Amino acid sequence: MVMEKEKKTINRLKTMHPLRAKVNETYLRSVEAIQAGKPAVWGMLNFYYGDPILKAMDIEVVYPENYGAIAAAMGVAQQYLERADAEGFPTHLCGYSLTTLGYASRMMKELNGEIPPEAPLGGMPKPLFLMSSAAICDARYKWFQSLGRYMNVPVWPLEAPIPGIKEFFIEGYYENMVKLGVKHLRDFVAFVEKMVGRKMDWDKLDKTTDLMIEVNRVWHEVNELRKARPCPMHSRDFWSAMPAALFLAGDLEDSLKLYQDMYDEVKERVDNHVGAIDDEKYRMVFAELPPWHSLGFFNKLADRGWNFVIESFGYHPPIPMDLSNVSDPLERITRFSLQFLVGYYEDARKQNVTGGTSAYPYLKYAKEWRCDGALLHPLITCRSASTHLPYVADMLMERLKVPSLSIEGDIVDLRLFNPEEALDRAEPFEESMEHYRKIRKQEGFDW
Amino acid sequence: MTDRSTGLARVGEIYSNRSQRARELKAQGKKIIGYPCVYVPLEMLTALGLVPYQTCGDMKEPVTEADRALPGSFCPVMRSCLDCALKNKNNFLDGMVTIHSCDPQEKTCRVWESYTNYPYFHFIDMPISVRPEALEYFRNQLGDLKKTLEAFTGKKLSVDALEAAIKSHNRQRTLVKELYELTKPSPPRISGTEMVQVLKALVSLPVEEGNDLLTECISEVKNRTAGPQKKAARLLIWSSTLDDTDVVQVLEDKANVVMNESCGGIRAYRAAVKFTSDPLKSLADYYLNEITCARTFRQATLGETKKDYARDLQSRFGYLKGVVKQWNINGAILLLVRYCDPFAFEMPSLRDYFESLGVPSTYIEYNYTVGALAPLRTRVEAFLETIG
Repeated sequence: MVMEKEKKTINRLKTMHPLRAKVNETYLRSVEAIQAGKPAVWGMLNFYYGDPILKAMDIEVVYPENYGAIAAAMGVAQQYLERADAEGFPTHLCGYSLTTLGYASRMMKELNGEIPPEAPLGGMPKPLFLMSSAAICDARYKWFQSLGRYMNVPVWPLEAPIPGIKEFFIEGYYENMVKLGVKHLRDFVAFVEKMVGRKMDWDKLDKTTDLMIEVNRVWHEVNELRKARPCPMHSRDFWSAMPAALFLAGDLEDSLKLYQDMYDEVKERVDNHVGAIDDEKYRMVFAELPPWHSLGFFNKLADRGWNFVIESFGYHPPIPMDLSNVSDPLERITRFSLQFLVGYYEDARKQNVTGGTSAYPYLKYAKEWRCDGALLHPLITCRSASTHLPYVADMLMERLKVPSLSIEGDIVDLRLFNPEEALDRAEPFEESMEHYRKIRKQEGFDW
Repeated sequence: MTDRSTGLARVGEIYSNRSQRARELKAQGKKIIGYPCVYVPLEMLTALGLVPYQTCGDMKEPVTEADRALPGSFCPVMRSCLDCALKNKNNFLDGMVTIHSCDPQEKTCRVWESYTNYPYFHFIDMPISVRPEALEYFRNQLGDLKKTLEAFTGKKLSVDALEAAIKSHNRQRTLVKELYELTKPSPPRISGTEMVQVLKALVSLPVEEGNDLLTECISEVKNRTAGPQKKAARLLIWSSTLDDTDVVQVLEDKANVVMNESCGGIRAYRAAVKFTSDPLKSLADYYLNEITCARTFRQATLGETKKDYARDLQSRFGYLKGVVKQWNINGAILLLVRYCDPFAFEMPSLRDYFESLGVPSTYIEYNYTVGALAPLRTRVEAFLETIG
């Protein structure tokens, strides 16, 4: 792939760099762990259900979906996609999943379990087990089930309830979700104990859980600071910094310190009116997954004064909640995980956005972060991150008079994203944003 | 529908005008509740005097209205279902019960609820696994459905009424299996195309009317002299949704479709609800455990710490072994509706399983439009030539 030389139009945060380095660190640690005879696991992004448990048991976890993005960005995904195609997997499946399936096929059929030499960041070693997740999409558990074709490795499918907004308020509903989560995680702990031949250190899990919650609270506060005008932190810094909170990549105590450093840097920018770009003309919300292989695209939009001030609901930390009176760490984990979705439900119900499980957050973002426009990125091979986008566009216009620009692409297949064509649409969209800025003022909105 | 027609003739009429009976019942004061997926526990609706009506798609109708609500690269069946709703084709419905049986169902239901205005709308969340805690959660979800249905109807859902409804729906399951027995002979006594019509008629009628119709059909098929002709192959079709005769006719042009393993086929009828002291638990157990859709995560042993691919395949597809033998299947078509992820992930493994049974199989994708029929025909003919 062609790697464009980045211009420095986005004023990147210094404190982002050590957080971004945690991803590379995670892959290297997993390979080292295997070499040292320690367990490594492949995990699916699980929105905090399973990660603290594995972390407390000193198990290294790598995330094939994250690795799919890395393989795409490093230009090696294509051979895995082609291999998955040859194995009989339909090409319209999730690009991350096809990358993993092609990778596993190469590793197990051609290399007898050895890491493919071309694999970036040291590659993903053969796992002890697979931790899949029902959160957000069907691919998250079906794809790991499909890996059984290449590896006789057990799979634990983590349950993850997705309640309706109206139904969530039925008496007893929330507690039934908590009950499911706690029982399910207790059984998961027993499964992990059997797999690694060690018992859980419950004190360590207690501490890990608290750290996870605190890391995400600070991370949430960092993002709250981005409501300032000009916005001090661009979405590119968000995406670079998020893995330590979302995947719990790296040491949590270290991550907490790094997010606190980031908070300080962003706060200093706010206090001194320093923006993430020099001339913030348009405040933008981005949905959902970015084109990882073409992030330089955002620099060109920054040249035009587009500052991406908020983004990717699915990657944001849960709205903070007080769990200090919950003594069982598994219950704290469950309530924290559920909060990722249901933290928005009360407001969504009040505003009668019943269809808004993952759409309502964008209304909140556009309103509270004072956005002029939304850049929507529907993905050919990721339906879950795309399905709600037309509805998001409708709601943003209907409720807030905020226009949307939809640009199709893909998370892995870079041929499906055309940055030049997308940039051609920027100028007419700016006219639309200017127009709706006037409309909002006429209708009494305050931005 | 007229009083004169019976059996397969009546089935044909209903298939051509699915909503007519629901509209008549609505005019008589009945409340009609739509549902998009076979995972919705119809017994609970029947027990409260509500009429369940499956909101199917229509592959002959170009999707236009749903374009504003769902992206193009999305389950075409759900796009079509929503499109029909947005075009007011289901304007006789008093409500909807929807379910998180798969991601497209879940996502579409949110949009559906937002863009329509039925007096009643309920969404059931559904776990992915068959673990005990998942079953308990699903049972509680049905308990929540009970609460909102009672509030909507102003009636209490009694155990007696629910058990009576379960008996009626179990009777329907038994009758469908009895009809499927008639595809075992060679040539089959009833074609795959007729079976699709019958099953689509059932999801358009109250359960007792459906049972009467099935009884008529079984008698008619057993006694008729002119049935389908014997063809070169006896096919099993494995799909998420196969509910349109145009598609089955393409498949049956040069073969007999003797088993339709889809939600428009036997999938919702293979097992029966078992009676326990808690009917909601019985229903949860049936819908979560017994319906063999790819959406459910199954494994050889719950929580297994060792994995064996052959045992894994058996746990996921083992129900097909008996079908292959009893129906004397000599070819399987894995008919994938484009963008259906749960079924798409199964393709290579299911082909492995059919290979282990000695049954040739092929995977064909289509997009639930009439434009897909010509390429489908070509692919089917090519497959039939290979199994000659």
